[in-house]
Amino acid sequence: MSALLDIKDVVVRFAVRGGVFSSAGSIDAVSGVSLSIEEGKTYGIVGESGSGKTTLARAVAGLHHASEGSILYRGQELRDLPEAQFRKLRREIVMMFQDPIGSLSPRLSVKSLITEPFRIQGMKGRDLDAEARRLLAMVGLPPEFAARYPYQISGGQARRVGVARALALDPKLLIADEPTAGLDVSIQGEMLNLLARLQDELGLAIMIITHNLNVVRHITDRVGIMYLGKLVEEGETDTVFSAPRHPYTLALLAANPEPDPDAQLMRIELQGEPPSILNRPTGCEFHTRCPFAQARCSTDVPSWQVAGPAAHRCHLPASWEQDKVCPA
Amino acid sequence: MSDTSLPKPRSEMGEILHHLLRDPLGLVGLVIVTLIVGSALLAPWIAPYDPIAMNIPDRLQGPSAAHLLGTDQIGRDTFSRVIWGGRVALQVALPTIGGAVAIGLILGMAAGYGPKWLDTLIVLFFDTLRSFPTVMFALAVVALVGPSLNTVIFVIMATSIPTYGRVVRTLTLSLKEAEFITAERALGASTLRIMGVHLLPNVLGPLAVLAAMDIPTVVGLEAGLSFLGMGVRPPTPSWGSLLNDGYSLIRNTPWLIIAGGIPLILTTIGFTFLGEALRDVVDPKLRGKGGK
Amino acid sequence: MTVLDIQGLSVSYGTPRGELRALRDVSLSVPERKIVGIVGESGCGKSTLISAIIRLMAPNARVRSGTVRFNGEDLLALPEARMRGLRGTEISMVFQDPMQTHNPVLTVGRQMIDIQYRDKRSKADKLKRAAEMLALVGIPDASARLNQYPFEFSGGMRQRIAIAMALMARPSLLIADEPTTALDATLEVQIIKRLRELQDEIGCSILFISHHLGVIAELCDEVVVMYAGEVVEAGSVRDVFHNPAHPYTRALLECDPGHIKEKTRNLPTIPGNIPDLVSLPGGCIFADRCPQRHDACTEHPVLSEASAGHRAACHLIKAGAPA
Repeated sequence: MSALLDIKDVVVRFAVRGGVFSSAGSIDAVSGVSLSIEEGKTYGIVGESGSGKTTLARAVAGLHHASEGSILYRGQELRDLPEAQFRKLRREIVMMFQDPIGSLSPRLSVKSLITEPFRIQGMKGRDLDAEARRLLAMVGLPPEFAARYPYQISGGQARRVGVARALALDPKLLIADEPTAGLDVSIQGEMLNLLARLQDELGLAIMIITHNLNVVRHITDRVGIMYLGKLVEEGETDTVFSAPRHPYTLALLAANPEPDPDAQLMRIELQGEPPSILNRPTGCEFHTRCPFAQARCSTDVPSWQVAGPAAHRCHLPASWEQDKVCPA
Repeated sequence: MSDTSLPKPRSEMGEILHHLLRDPLGLVGLVIVTLIVGSALLAPWIAPYDPIAMNIPDRLQGPSAAHLLGTDQIGRDTFSRVIWGGRVALQVALPTIGGAVAIGLILGMAAGYGPKWLDTLIVLFFDTLRSFPTVMFALAVVALVGPSLNTVIFVIMATSIPTYGRVVRTLTLSLKEAEFITAERALGASTLRIMGVHLLPNVLGPLAVLAAMDIPTVVGLEAGLSFLGMGVRPPTPSWGSLLNDGYSLIRNTPWLIIAGGIPLILTTIGFTFLGEALRDVVDPKLRGKGGK
Repeated sequence: MTVLDIQGLSVSYGTPRGELRALRDVSLSVPERKIVGIVGESGCGKSTLISAIIRLMAPNARVRSGTVRFNGEDLLALPEARMRGLRGTEISMVFQDPMQTHNPVLTVGRQMIDIQYRDKRSKADKLKRAAEMLALVGIPDASARLNQYPFEFSGGMRQRIAIAMALMARPSLLIADEPTTALDATLEVQIIKRLRELQDEIGCSILFISHHLGVIAELCDEVVVMYAGEVVEAGSVRDVFHNPAHPYTRALLECDPGHIKEKTRNLPTIPGNIPDLVSLPGGCIFADRCPQRHDACTEHPVLSEASAGHRAACHLIKAGAPA
């Protein structure tokens, strides 16, 4: 069975304007990422700021131009697809944005917002009142919300409106950029449960972008960990969480401490600050912060190694024996 | 299921009016503006005399029941001239501001949302227009085509376009990067739809504030040009020509200049108050601050 | 010895709808050389509490009752001049957004000299101290970097600088308001560790506000749980996180994704919303969201001891129900 979305060696390059005395150059915000998402499955992309995760998501949604590689959606190449043709696909590939309130047009009522897809895709014939009612019910908001404006609703409610709008036209692929950002812990779960429920009901595939490992642990089938524009590890969620191989994955897991003062923490402490993408380190990108780095890490680029249901990019991956980590 | 209709959102205009009336500044502004606009609209019916009919025997009379604000040196009723003068003032101000706003809006949005070369071109055009000093430019045009109402309108409009255009451009540039515009693009909205449905309403508010505050400036400019004899030609009543007439007679009949000055001051106060109040009301987030 | 002692503090905001009672009868204390964490979600009153302590309150805010004692002095009764003298020297603050807390047009060194204006030392001495402080928070090559402007530093670096500046005067109390929320998790860990070391070295007390339970567990000695403007539970981190006595604390801990070991597609949540602080219901404020609500909950519970030094405002404690 072929994948719904098949991303191969995608590079998203941005031009950097030079100063008066320096020449213009370019940076690769996404630098050769490959992954695929099966129909009806959830894929989590985890990375910290500057890892290129949002850029990758926007490239898939046709909001950024991919300079190299291919993005196949049901076998159709999306890269270089003219906007006029991409527009038809926007019924099937939809996106939820990071800022729940800021991604809603401020002068439109909730009803106008969630029925906009019908108007944009030329389906004015539909009973928009009925559609609005259906969509509000789907995301668990009372019909009265149709008359509200974005500034009159809370962050959590705005998120639901964003979901309703994204799912209005029965899409096949939902790209959710930080779906729980800015939400209180007690309602983060609501959002994730809603996405899981809608996925079961509608059979859509979801690509979740987040910086929080704990968010993707429960609802994804696969995860990819990004660092400085590259995937450093990817694979089945259970495998990556139970036996992470890349030191960065280990550090991320350790950086989400449990709320228990006596927890035995597997402390992988990183050094220094994340390097700037303008000054990509040689060799392995991670060697400047890696506690296990050796000489060759700063010179040789590690290759992509597939090991069972997961793969990683590291010269000295951690090995696991009886649930105990033995870093190289 | 769909027989019960969904609740309708309050209209934007209704919401703005509702909040405007609760603000004392807005209320005062609105009352004064309504008074000025109303009397200008109804001038033919409420002005007691023909504003240009001479009546030499009754010249230079003081205020009385027959002539509320007295008469001028050729016996015209000053009160009627004030009312008709308001009509002239608005006839100049509204098309001027309206035209400048419309052109500024189109150019500004095109510059802000369009490609880089268009932006550069339009900004260059704005800067060129702006580099003309208004009064010098006005005098030059008057020297070329002669003084008239249309000349005044043209000159002020041309020199105001960059002001609005630049504001619209800046607003558009920052809104363009806003996440809701990206979200609309992701939904497949066309450029025209993004500009008309999503950018325009967010630009109009601040622009309305600016325009309201500019009306007194334009009225004052028209009065100034008319005062100098470069604007509206006699015998057409204008607040500026009223001031001019009164100026020469200020020692004996001060009410003439007062009658020309007070509407000017009222216009400034009214529109400025309205603009100030609008500023707080047009942004839905600031509306009813602390009321939640 | 208690550095900060807040007793019965109630703060309200005047709004067109009526009085919004943002803090009600809040009592907490920060002992010497201890780190006390405040946990709570949006609307719990954290920001109001901080603004009341440093007395930089919104114009429509009003202290209805209570005292805020700092080393014995009632801050709420101090003259403004004396209060100004305390801020930045005895009580320092670190804010959430490291991008906005520095003056963008002055070099870091200049800003760090400026905050030592009360000192009589020479400029060279002050610069030396600034460099030492930067090194202490983990900024490599500190003396060279003093000549740089804030925009030349990354977010993590700026937050380190903010901490260095806050601790420069060796305050007895540092108030840290979500200082790591804007940072990435791996940086958060680094900064938390550094903060702990510095606190130990300088010997100050810290009031640490965060919504991140894991960070509180790791950093703090004691924790105060706030909900809708009230303290619902307080005690040592170990007591509160191991044996939460208030249903809200329990629910909050359950919701923390770091707490859930088994993979599930149905994550726990706390249904419902925070009550309207303008028209408060009588009785327990958590009652309408509480799974253990019972008849007694129509009455407002007071903080009572669940164990020594561990208090919670829940009727179930007196009833002897299992926590």
